[in-house]
Amino acid sequence: MNLEHFLKSEAPGWMDGKGLDADIVLSTRIRLARNLESYRFPLSFSEQEAKQVDEVVTQALLNINKDKRIFSHFTIQEMPALQRQVLVEKHLISPLLAKKEKHASVLLSEDETMSVMVNEEDHLRIQCLLPGLQLSETYALANQLDSQLERHLPYAFNESFGYLTSCPTNVGTGLRASVMMHLPALTLSKQIKAVTQMLARFGMVVRGIYGEGSENLGNIYQISNQVTLGKSEEEIIEDLQNVVVQIIQNERGARQSLQKNSRIVLEDRFNRSLGTLRYARVMTSEEAAASLSNVRLGVDLGIIKDVPLNILNECMILIQPGFVQQYAGTTLQPTERDIFRAKLLREKLNVNSQNSLEKGEERYDV
Amino acid sequence: MICEHCQERQASVTVTQVINGQKSERHYCEVCAKQFHPFNIDFHKEEQIPIHQLVANLFGLPVWNNTQEKTQTTTQKATQCPKCGFTFRHFLNEGKLGCPQCYETFSKQLPQVLTKIQAGTTHSGKAPGKPSKDHTWVKKQIETIREQLQIAIMEERFEDAAKLRDEIKELERKLEHGGADTP
Repeated sequence: MNLEHFLKSEAPGWMDGKGLDADIVLSTRIRLARNLESYRFPLSFSEQEAKQVDEVVTQALLNINKDKRIFSHFTIQEMPALQRQVLVEKHLISPLLAKKEKHASVLLSEDETMSVMVNEEDHLRIQCLLPGLQLSETYALANQLDSQLERHLPYAFNESFGYLTSCPTNVGTGLRASVMMHLPALTLSKQIKAVTQMLARFGMVVRGIYGEGSENLGNIYQISNQVTLGKSEEEIIEDLQNVVVQIIQNERGARQSLQKNSRIVLEDRFNRSLGTLRYARVMTSEEAAASLSNVRLGVDLGIIKDVPLNILNECMILIQPGFVQQYAGTTLQPTERDIFRAKLLREKLNVNSQNSLEKGEERYDV
Repeated sequence: MICEHCQERQASVTVTQVINGQKSERHYCEVCAKQFHPFNIDFHKEEQIPIHQLVANLFGLPVWNNTQEKTQTTTQKATQCPKCGFTFRHFLNEGKLGCPQCYETFSKQLPQVLTKIQAGTTHSGKAPGKPSKDHTWVKKQIETIREQLQIAIMEERFEDAAKLRDEIKELERKLEHGGADTP
């Protein structure tokens, strides 16, 4: 499988709009941090060690899948910066890995649901992504790969501290489970702060999807466990599941009361946003994210009917700078990006809806 | 009384100083006192008083022992990871450890850090190799036999102790094989 396959301007497999509670939960991600015994962590290892780790891990992964050949190996150093950025924006590699120069690599499964980053902060970062809320399914997938790998690799493991990791915030299970959620109603009704505080008490954290500092861009939040030691994998998954179900209920409740109290205001807002996306000529990523969130909520509430969810998912990924530049086929200044972003969105949102546009407009107050 | 400084004029100013809890009085003439006061103080040129000593004097505290502090920091520095050379201080600054060995090297200090950021200090989840249940069972067995062994030694039943020791060895071998045998 060549790299072009993974750079296609399509929503990755984990964003196909299927899965449980897919209207609110976009995707579920499981990450396992693992290290090899007798090699220093990437923070302090030598060039030689880095090379060996890369070789040993790659060999093990390719051995496991000898007959199926589901993993393809890519060296970060050999990729141009823009390609790295696209992979980051698809959540296939981390921003940290994209910056690495020393024998860092990534192994990707064909359908993009599984990836193994080599020599990121730890020697291995096993990652699995599935659409919707599927915590135990995603963990089962990651766990299976991990169990296969441990037969070929000498993992650094300690009786009392569990799986040893470079950062003590990952030690123990090495497990980080996160759920990406679209929470516009909780944000609109200003309940999100209370939710964040509640989560902190349960040992969970909230982040934005477009990286640190983008806290509520597009009203999308990533909720994950903080604690990795002192709880078993099953407990971590169960606790997160309970919390997420609770948040889904709250979001649905908030959506209902919004719809009851200010239907016409919402209709106006959603359709304005759709208009902006379809006709604007200059679009910043902030505006695009906010408009997409509005349209998405409109679709969820049945107010907007002619935009499929998977197109919206795709757009959410495509508005990011790396994708916009890939679409343009060259690196761009931020102001040029805004022009291409608008063009890209017009193309995506006008293609399949020309015919149904009028019907959709009539239908919305049913 | 004659001025202590010029030894010529009549002393008319009395300066009282308390240093290290010792009170001393000096007598100067007006001319000399003016020179000294307030900034030209040259009494006790010979000894510069360190600031921490002054503070200690003020509060009547014992003087901070410099040498003790130094030895403490050097012992802390001495615990260096043999594999990667990290010290605990280095870890605290960096927030990350250098290698798997570090967890052994700093096994005493780490729990203090871990209790603040984690739900506990002991792993209770998945382990590589055999299903964890078998492991813990064999380990518990070894532990109980060890206790019996201790008692046997205390009671000087050396023949029993030798048997128990062999039993432990056998179980430990099983444990290792069990881990390696998994397909």
